[in-house]
Amino acid sequence: MQAEPKRPLSVVLCGALIQLAGHLVPAAQRPEWKQEWLAEIWHRWQFLHYAGAWSRAEGLRLLRRCLGAFADASWHFTAQYDVQTRIRECIRSPWTCLSAWGAAILVVAVLSSGLPAARGLFNQATHNASGRLLFIWLHPILTGGDKGLPPDVAPAWTRYSHLLEGAAGFAIARQHVKTPGTMASRVLTIRTDPDFFTVLEASPVVGSIPRETGLVLTDSIWQSLFHRDPHVVGRSLQIGAESHRVAGVLNRRFQFLSRQPAIYIIEPHPPATSMMVVARVRPNVSEKALDRELTRIAEVTCYDFFQSQLRYGFLDEAAWIPVQIFTVSVLVCTLLLIAVSGIRIRHLRAALTYPDRAALARRSAFWLAKTALALGFVFLAGLEWSRSQSAILYGSKDPANGPFMLWLYVLGSMAVLFWSVADQRARCRICLRLLCFPVRIGCPGCLLLDWSGTELLCTEGHGVLHVPHLAASWDEESDRWITLDESWKDLFAASGSGHADT
Amino acid sequence: MSDSAKLSHTAALILQTIDQGCRYGFDVMDQTGLPSGTVYPALRRMESEGLISSQWESEKKATAEQRPPRKYYRITRAGSQVLEQSQKRYPLLARLLAKPRA
Repeated sequence: MQAEPKRPLSVVLCGALIQLAGHLVPAAQRPEWKQEWLAEIWHRWQFLHYAGAWSRAEGLRLLRRCLGAFADASWHFTAQYDVQTRIRECIRSPWTCLSAWGAAILVVAVLSSGLPAARGLFNQATHNASGRLLFIWLHPILTGGDKGLPPDVAPAWTRYSHLLEGAAGFAIARQHVKTPGTMASRVLTIRTDPDFFTVLEASPVVGSIPRETGLVLTDSIWQSLFHRDPHVVGRSLQIGAESHRVAGVLNRRFQFLSRQPAIYIIEPHPPATSMMVVARVRPNVSEKALDRELTRIAEVTCYDFFQSQLRYGFLDEAAWIPVQIFTVSVLVCTLLLIAVSGIRIRHLRAALTYPDRAALARRSAFWLAKTALALGFVFLAGLEWSRSQSAILYGSKDPANGPFMLWLYVLGSMAVLFWSVADQRARCRICLRLLCFPVRIGCPGCLLLDWSGTELLCTEGHGVLHVPHLAASWDEESDRWITLDESWKDLFAASGSGHADT
Repeated sequence: MSDSAKLSHTAALILQTIDQGCRYGFDVMDQTGLPSGTVYPALRRMESEGLISSQWESEKKATAEQRPPRKYYRITRAGSQVLEQSQKRYPLLARLLAKPRA
């Protein structure tokens, strides 16, 4: 046999990978495991070398194959009894439960790029004096539902109202937008008049607000369509079948109705049949006085609105609507849970007289913590998801504040509360680990002189939970927890680290 | 392993490859096209379930040929039975591989 040729870099790296992966393999099996992998690498290299087929590509292929050594080593690692026991114990631990919900909230934060909607609840300073910004829409008594107002109402209010500083109508749509030489994309467009930005007290960072026709872009649209071109003013944009020229770009922090990128089409008389109205109210104006005045002015414009047909929503109040919906949902679901799960006053009284006060406090704290985390996850996930889809902040059609969010929160809260109680019942009353080793006892249906059900055991030997298959009418208790006394300690200690054997 | 239902299609494919004469891990990978991260854990699992057995080749022989000894796998009797059942369960399994090695 000829002398061994110099090892190429890829073979050396393969050896290093095997050495690294070998740390995962239990010490007793490590030498044999390494020997097998290194022998395979050697043979593959030698075979290809003497066949004249060794190349850089083959070296890379061999290197890629060696990455599988980590999967193989991991199999050896997890196949160990101690590791499997530790993993099982970790899954049953109350800390794992809390960490899992914490991680779920973290995932929501990452996916939503830092919980912008939730942060928006506490930071509503995107508009000056947002407490005086008011949205007005129509809620017909006969047909119901939320609708926009005729387009000539807002100018009449601006002209004749003593209680409003200004008002502007706007109509929302999604239209295909295209710049020369690019593909069309669907974008949120808001058709409004020049007074709109006066009402919002917003001014552009590039260009100006047109007094006649033109486009005003949000910062994100400026970025996506024009790559922040400083000479964007005057450039044309195709919106649907119309062509418009850009007049200005808004501040990065400007946000109206939605976080979605939007284009404002400014026209003196927007050609829309119905529009929502945004208005700025003078300080200390009551809703009743405002309703009276606006209804009277509308009559002058030939629109007779019945009393309370006009609906009002303040910007800063509306931002908290999801919190109100969520609170109501949780309360309703809690009452439903109490009614369905059969929790009675006597159960609470029995729990409060539990002899081990420390264990009771620990149990209660754990239940509160996991329920709060799970509800927090539902609230944040629902808020971020619906807000990212929302284009209309007010009215029953709004995904963020309407029935969609109500259903989302009711179903989410119900799922969390029912899971929370079920999970609590399936845990050890002392150490809060999930009970395991279910054993079926008795004959199902034989309830007269016998008991049939499932027994679950705490791996630390704290007790046994009896769960009847069918609760008899004379037996008021369903699950029964039996605390194991000191005489059982030896049995659990005998299995090594306190883990009961099946 | 008596319950053949537990053998996945991939595991059955690897078992069939060993039955056809592929005796070491890299050879199984070449024949099946499966990655090493799938083949080796499957080999370990099947060995622990008694479907295949492994054996190191003679140290003396390897030393004489100035190369490291290799670990060879072979199918056991229990493995053959399970493979037979798997071939009935996955009728296309036999067509996936080239003709058996001598």
